[in-house]
Amino acid sequence: MTERTIAVDYLTRVEGEGSLHVKLEDGRVEHVELRIFEPPRFFEAFLRGRMYTEAPDITARICGICPVAYQMSAVHAMEQAYGISVGGALRELRRLFYCGEWIESHALHVYLLHTPDFLGYPDAVRMAKDDPETVKRGLALKKAGNAVMQMLGGREIHPINVRVGGFYRVPSREELESLRPTLESALEIAEETVHFAAGLPFPDAEEDYEFVALQHPEEYAMNEGEIVSSRGVRVSASRFDEAFERAPVAYTHALQSVRKGGTPYLVGALARYALNGSQLSPRAKSIAREVGLEPVVRNPFRSILVRSIEMVYACEEALRLLSVYRPPETAWVEPTGEFHGGVGAAATEAPRGLLFHRYQLASDGRIEAAEIIAPTAQNQKRIEEDVRHVVERSLALDDAHLTALCERAIRNHDPCISCATHFLKLEVERA
Amino acid sequence: MHEEAMLQDLRRKLVEVTAREAAPRVVRVRLWLGALSHVSEEQLRREWPRIVDGTPAESAALDLTTSRDFEDPRAQGLVLVSLDVEESGSTNER
Repeated sequence: MTERTIAVDYLTRVEGEGSLHVKLEDGRVEHVELRIFEPPRFFEAFLRGRMYTEAPDITARICGICPVAYQMSAVHAMEQAYGISVGGALRELRRLFYCGEWIESHALHVYLLHTPDFLGYPDAVRMAKDDPETVKRGLALKKAGNAVMQMLGGREIHPINVRVGGFYRVPSREELESLRPTLESALEIAEETVHFAAGLPFPDAEEDYEFVALQHPEEYAMNEGEIVSSRGVRVSASRFDEAFERAPVAYTHALQSVRKGGTPYLVGALARYALNGSQLSPRAKSIAREVGLEPVVRNPFRSILVRSIEMVYACEEALRLLSVYRPPETAWVEPTGEFHGGVGAAATEAPRGLLFHRYQLASDGRIEAAEIIAPTAQNQKRIEEDVRHVVERSLALDDAHLTALCERAIRNHDPCISCATHFLKLEVERA
Repeated sequence: MHEEAMLQDLRRKLVEVTAREAAPRVVRVRLWLGALSHVSEEQLRREWPRIVDGTPAESAALDLTTSRDFEDPRAQGLVLVSLDVEESGSTNER
């Protein structure tokens, strides 16, 4: 026996946090497992023992793309526990803040993650070589959304200006008005985006989703409303457990959410559009009609079109909110009366779907228990169903092409794990 | 949050290199750990048996160099530097 040295000099890479295991038997899909192996991040444990006022800043760190969603669900839950009501200009600023996040997050997904799939590019960087204008449109929209987040949050990523009851500082009318040219230009680009997305080649698919989203009687819901489903659920966030449950599954680190009884459901842009589409602005509705977007979209590949419509809406809504803004007398509302402890729960609409928070608070305001249910965890089981159907339709493909198609089927739902463009390790067991 | 993905990539690379080189057994694995890596030295040593379990590097010694240089361009990384492999006389030399 002799020894030799093999020089490798290989830098390990973070390839993503998900894998997909598909078992085929006699030409049938026997089993599909979407495994998310990102280790637990223990945010719910970090929150224990912290003051209720710290939750918006701690939970914002959960996601660099949708920190506003985490902040909003946190503050609404705390306000529910304390009985604080936030209305008027502060409520409108929160909605504007959320519009900024929807714009930047949807722009990222539509242009940098989803479009390359349709046009056959491995990623947006390579797409930019052939089609720089498309990528520039996406970046301009992202920048507009970021500008809103910067203005209201103090910075684009992990904002620092949100507090229970409102904001630490609110902008003047002039400051907010300075966003107008950027948002007007973003609205035009968002409209172009809808027409661009409508021209993409969509694979055939038709899924029987139970859509779940927040619904508000007077507006396309972002921050407030009841949780409703296309199959009759209607509950407040404090009654979340009456309609939904979640359980650990051996093969994945994410808890899987299901409707009571075990069936999967879908949150996100498709769900919002199906349940609340009639509350979009006249302009957003008219563009949707122009491009032939049906009132309920069941082809997940067409979600790119729905996100584009939501970008039009978010730009318009942001411009409307700029027009009506009058700075509030105080930047935040303080809790009044004695607090004896209790539970606060809230759900808001993160760009990728319903985000639920619940906190149990001690009488001194310390967090005794926290529960956070992210949109991707809720969609995980439903995504497995989508993938199963995609594989069933494409059994003849080799593993490389099947992997690409499965990645697309997962990316349709803008999951948190899609940040890694090539995240999927596909194992196909062909028996 | 990315430790597991990096360690799994390391395992994948070990398997790939040993298969390509037709190396039945790895004697030593040299790794270089950047000062700002997602993985700590302690964590890496603890997880090492699991990373190499079932691979030709199962019984290999771990030769780990931990850098303290924050300015190194690879400071965030974990580098698989080289492998010492045992080979039988018939193995093709490169």
